[in-house]
Amino acid sequence: MSPPLSDSPRAHSRRIWRLSWLDRAIGLLPWILGALFGAVALHLLIILALPAVWPGGAYRALALRLPLGEKLLLPRADSASRDPAFSDPFAAVAICRFDLSRGPLRLRADADGDHPFSLSVRLADGTIIYSANDRQTPQGKFDVLIVTQAQADAQDSKEESKEDVKPDGAQDSAASASAAGAAGDAVENELRLVSPGARGFAVFRVLSLRYGDYDAAAAARAEAQCQLEKPTP
Amino acid sequence: MNGLRALPFAAIAALALGLAATLLSLQNGPGFGAVRIGAWTAWPQIGGSDIDPYARASIAVDGALPLGANEGLAFVATTDDSGAPLDARCDYLIGGRAPSARFWTLSAYDVDGRLRPNAADRYGLTSAALLRDSQGGFVIDAAREARPGNWLPLGEKSRFILVLRAYQAATSVVENAFEAMTLPTIARGACS
Repeated sequence: MSPPLSDSPRAHSRRIWRLSWLDRAIGLLPWILGALFGAVALHLLIILALPAVWPGGAYRALALRLPLGEKLLLPRADSASRDPAFSDPFAAVAICRFDLSRGPLRLRADADGDHPFSLSVRLADGTIIYSANDRQTPQGKFDVLIVTQAQADAQDSKEESKEDVKPDGAQDSAASASAAGAAGDAVENELRLVSPGARGFAVFRVLSLRYGDYDAAAAARAEAQCQLEKPTP
Repeated sequence: MNGLRALPFAAIAALALGLAATLLSLQNGPGFGAVRIGAWTAWPQIGGSDIDPYARASIAVDGALPLGANEGLAFVATTDDSGAPLDARCDYLIGGRAPSARFWTLSAYDVDGRLRPNAADRYGLTSAALLRDSQGGFVIDAAREARPGNWLPLGEKSRFILVLRAYQAATSVVENAFEAMTLPTIARGACS
């Protein structure tokens, strides 16, 4: 294409430079878009993967030092420790780790009424799937059975088959009625929690009302129980 | 074929942009849904199963054990009421209305989540142990040096964070109706 006759040589070279710049920019556009797409994909990938792979995450840190079904009593938070971060120095904390593929986990605790008491159940990625405090449970008692959906189904079908084979008049005697009543109460107070994930941990938290009150709160959390149960066959 | 020369540059740009966006998003606290009341900020969604992926990532990086929705709600302050960053070279008066909760605690932390070292080895105050006036009001003196009354030691390092935990907060709070929530004010006093 020849330059218009009115163009000076300088204007002509400027026009050529503009055209070549535009060509180059258009040629780079797919790469720019590709880089942006790659950046967004990488960002999302890191955000989604971090809870599972970050070594400082609560579950990964616990997994290194806490066997399944056992209880870890965290020391009182002070300036020397940062594990976990932003810990409340008035909270006495006990933690149990679970892997439901090994069997359900039962959590039991009795609040003393003087110290605020709470329980939370968290998945390995940190999602809190259940929390309750002592004013929301019957007489401040916690009895939670954490199961997978398959374990819950197995329990239900076992219960159903038990009811099917129960003989008439089995509960005639006072002793059996009382036993059935006790078992009924236990089941009534039990909360069965179906977990969407197999691995996680439970946190018992007891609060001391004052600085000098911590030992009493720590004793209350030490009474909390975690127990691995055998899966229903 | 010449266009392929741009591939390494595009890959490096994607890597740099992706990492920068991730760092930025993690610096801005745990995800979306922040509730701001005065100088205080809380993230109620982190206490339940509807937590977003950004909050999950932020909590993993912090290594924290946040409160469940039925345990309570934690409010964080990095500035005073005027918006100035909290600085231990200054004194702060924290007072006014207490949160509606069965019990609450207030502590000062380093930015990395560690309690502030101080000569008194006192790391916080609780609602049960506060000295109050005849109307139930209170004033907390947050300062490096000891103060009579409700003293919250700040330690030596300059930057710090306040965390107020409202345990078993009133039902309205748990149900995300925060309009009526009242929290203490944070007023800067003298600076050294």
